[in-house]
Formats: sequence, C-alpha cells, structure tokens
Amino acid sequence: MRHFRSFAWKVAKTILVLLVLFFFLFPIYWLVITAFKPVPDWFGWPPIIVPRALTLDNFLGLKGAGSGGFTGQVTGSVANIWPYLRNSVIVATITALLSMLIGAMAAYAISRFKVGGVQFTNWIISIRMLPPIASALPLYLIFSKLQLLNTLFVLILAHLVFTLPLSTWILITFFNDIPKELDEAAFVDGASPLQAFVSVILPLSAPGLAAVSTLAFIQSWGEFLLALILTSNPNAQTLPIFLGRYITAYRIAWGPMAAAGLINMVPVVIFSLIMQRYLIRGLTFGAVK
Amino acid sequence: MTRRYRTSAILLILPLIIPLLALTIYPFLNMIFMSFHAYDLARNEPPRFIGLGNYAAILQDGSARSTIEFTALLVIVALPLEILLGIGIAWLIRDMLGERLIRSAILLPMMIPAVVASIAWKMLFNFEFGPINYFLSLLGVAKVSWLGSYPFARLGIILIDVWQWTPFVFLVLYSGLQSIPPELTEAAVVDGASSWQAIRLIELPLLRPLIWVVLIIRLIDILKLFDIVFMVTWGGPGAATHSFSYYIYKVGLSFGWDIGYASALSILLLAVVVLLVNVLMKVLRLRALLELG
Repeated sequence: MRHFRSFAWKVAKTILVLLVLFFFLFPIYWLVITAFKPVPDWFGWPPIIVPRALTLDNFLGLKGAGSGGFTGQVTGSVANIWPYLRNSVIVATITALLSMLIGAMAAYAISRFKVGGVQFTNWIISIRMLPPIASALPLYLIFSKLQLLNTLFVLILAHLVFTLPLSTWILITFFNDIPKELDEAAFVDGASPLQAFVSVILPLSAPGLAAVSTLAFIQSWGEFLLALILTSNPNAQTLPIFLGRYITAYRIAWGPMAAAGLINMVPVVIFSLIMQRYLIRGLTFGAVK
Repeated sequence: MTRRYRTSAILLILPLIIPLLALTIYPFLNMIFMSFHAYDLARNEPPRFIGLGNYAAILQDGSARSTIEFTALLVIVALPLEILLGIGIAWLIRDMLGERLIRSAILLPMMIPAVVASIAWKMLFNFEFGPINYFLSLLGVAKVSWLGSYPFARLGIILIDVWQWTPFVFLVLYSGLQSIPPELTEAAVVDGASSWQAIRLIELPLLRPLIWVVLIIRLIDILKLFDIVFMVTWGGPGAATHSFSYYIYKVGLSFGWDIGYASALSILLLAVVVLLVNVLMKVLRLRALLELG
C-alpha cells in the first residue's frame, strides 16, 4: 500500500510537471514551427500542431505567395528586415559596449573610493525601476526640438539610461570581491588610480565585464517602448518595431511574422541561457546570488 | 585617500552621472512643469498654466478609471497567481530527475522579448485558427473571441503576463529553497513532522523575505506593462485593457498629443513607483540583515 501510494504520487508529479512544461513551452513551440510552415499550413482547422512539411520560404521571402494559396493582404515579408536588423545590431552593440565602459569606470570609483555613498548607489539602482514611459514623453519633446528624433544616437542614449544602472551595480559587486591589496600594491608602485584600474582591476573582472555587456545587449535588443516613440522609419527603427508593424496589418501572414519573431528571439535566448546567473542577480538586485 | 585620488574618482564617475542626470532629472522637472499646464502638441499654442486642472481631470476621466481598474485587476489576479504558481512549481520540480533541464526550459518565457511573446500569443488567441480555441473545442467549449470581447481580452493579457513572469517568480523562490540547509527540514521530519508541516512551518517562513522582494518587483513591473498590451490588444476593446503606460502613451503621443494631461498621469504613476521602490530598498536591506540566501 505504501509502495503504491508513493508510486501514484510520482506519477501525479510527473503529469503535473508535463502540464507545466506544456504551458510554458507550447507558445514558443508554436512560434518556432509556424516560422517553418509552408503557406497552406499557416491557417488550418484543426490547427497543424505537428508540422507536415517544413520550409525556409518564410525567411527567404514569399516568392509566389499569391499562387501558394494564401490570398488577402500580406504585409511585407522578412526580406524587408535588413535595415531593422542592422539598426538593432548597431544599437544593442554600442549600448552594450558603452554600458560596460561607463559602468566599469563608475563602479570602480564607487567600489574603491566610496564616491557618493549609499544614497547615491541606491539612486542609481532605483533608476532602473522607473517606468520608461515617464521619461519617454519629455525625451520625445527635447529630441524633437533638437531635431534628433529618429536617429540611432538618441536611441542608444535612451537605452543607456536603463542599462547603465544595472551594469554599474553588477560591476560594483564584482569589484568589491577583488582584494583591495592588489590595487594598493599598484599605488605603492606609483600607479595612478586610472593605471591601477586598467592594469589590475579590469583584467581580473573579465567575466563581470562580459556579463554586463551581454545583459545590456539583451535589454537593448528587446526594448520596444522607447524605440517606438523615438524613431519613425527604417533609418533608425529596430527589430521589435518591425514586429509591431506586422501586428497592425489587416490580415497577418503568420509564417513571415513568426520567422521575424524567431530572428528577434534567438540571439537573446542564447545570451540569456549563458548568462542565467547574472540575469537573475540583476533582476532581483542581488536578492538571489 | 589623497586628494589626487578623489579627483580621479570623480572624473571616472562623471560619464555615468551626466547622462543619467540629463535623461532622468531634467525630464522629471519638465514633466512636473507640464503637469500644471495645458499643453497640446496638436494645437500650436504655448503651455498655459492651469494649476491642478490636469490632476482634477483624471478624476472625471472614464478611460483613466478603466486603466486603474485593469491595473487593479492585474494586481489582484495575476500577481497572486504568479506567486502561488511560482512557489508550487519550485516545490514540485525540486529533487526531480533532470531538474536543471526542466528549470532552464521553464525560464524560456521570461527570456524572450515581450514583443516576440506577444506575436506568439496573438496567434494562439486567434479566433478562427488559434490553437487555444482548438484545445477548448476538444473539451466541447465553443470558440471564444479572446481579444475582441471585454472580459476575455483582460483575461488574455493576464494569462500572457502569468506565462511570461511566473518563471521569474519561480526562479527566485527556487533559488531561495535551494539555499535552505536540508538538515533543517530533515531534522523536523525525524522529529515526526509531515513533509507538508516542514514546508509550512520551516521553509515558507524562511522564504518570506524573498517572497516580498518578488512581490514588489512584480508589482512595479505590472505598473510598467506596455509591450504586450500594445502588441496584443491595442488597449482594447474600448479601454478594457489599457495599462497605465499604454494610456499615457495614447494620451500623450499617439491618439492624442495632450502633453499636459499625459504628464499629470506620468507624475501619478511615478509617485506610486517611487514609493514602491523605496519599500523595495527597505526590504532588500532587511533581507541583507537576515543574511538569507
């Protein structure tokens, strides 16, 4: 009887876990298979849950989409994605590098020279929690006066506001773990703080630098609201905005939309999985190590 | 520390302070100013001082009421659901075969950009061809117009939020559970406690500070909700699924250009968020004192 009960409990637990996995993974599974479905399989009743055929057409462009059985208004194809992809790569990369650089310098000053004290550090962290819409509105006004709207420069600047606090904060915790004796030894040898920073601290915190730049890249890559407000055409719009344009169409071509979604998703999922630990540490302000 | 060092330290921190000040403090002051003025970009007039007029207008505004109602609904329904599911799943997959793999799989929803999650769910919710209506039809339920009808659109947004952010709650509480020394619960079980009692009397109290932390972080995130609403329902039908951020966007930069009113709404939102951030900082410090995790 006891045996049976523990067996039944194990079965119940397994079923529950499978249900949980189904709930969390099915939407992603659906997106992925739709990206590879040929035109006739996008819409169907019953929906095609196990794909019958796979194709790369959704990525390569919809040659002959009209004759393939899909009628109605199709908005764009993934072929138009290039400018958006280029903008996303540029914005996210520069945001990542600047967050790392500026964050590292500030974190060094805070960690070693206690600039500003606890209140100041708290202020920096809390900026990350502020609703972006609140700064987006005035930023839109300023940048439209300066005629800087719809430039990559402005978008990078706006993204930095939200990536810098996280980078700085994570790097402070990294630098705090490096023994002070190391840079003090450098000072004794006559190094300036800047020299000690470049030759002692930076090399020792390479993993931290990699973590913060990746996290900033992820944040910037997926950011939607600021990009929506501060940019207005493919000269500066990023991938999430490209996806947003699909949604507004009268009849949406599911295949290319899912393909574009996949392109938008893959880099950040890979980065996030690699940086899982730091991602969580950052998201919870260190409540979870 | 010598003076020379102090100067270099300040020079090192300037590149951080200048953009942050310029892009947070200035907008904030500008917004306070605008919130007391009538200023509409669509009309070619300079800002005109109207005192508390914009704030008074919030009280009369039906859409604002709907926004607050929907936000409250998210807080009352989505938030507890995420916490309960998060705890439940953390407890469920602990000690399970392949828990590392399961954990990474469950984390996927929070890793994909909200915009991408939105298009996936938009397909799932589709009235004619969506898998959700298909699964429901297998259970004998008639097709539901998920995004076109008022209670279901709200339910839909809640569902997406739960889907995307339960993994976060789960992960935090799971890490918390892992950090509790197993000897504690083992000792209790040896002393005759049931495993349910061990959870309720030992593990839950130890997790409490962490639960507070995720609760507040999620609360702030719900107030910031934008991407999903914009992508999936456009705040509709009517004003049924207006999140706070979405309504501000709509009033100030999209369907209307009423900067004054949008600023007043932003100040209101900011006030609540700043309050919550302060509570969070207190809890985090408390947590540090408790030395948990």
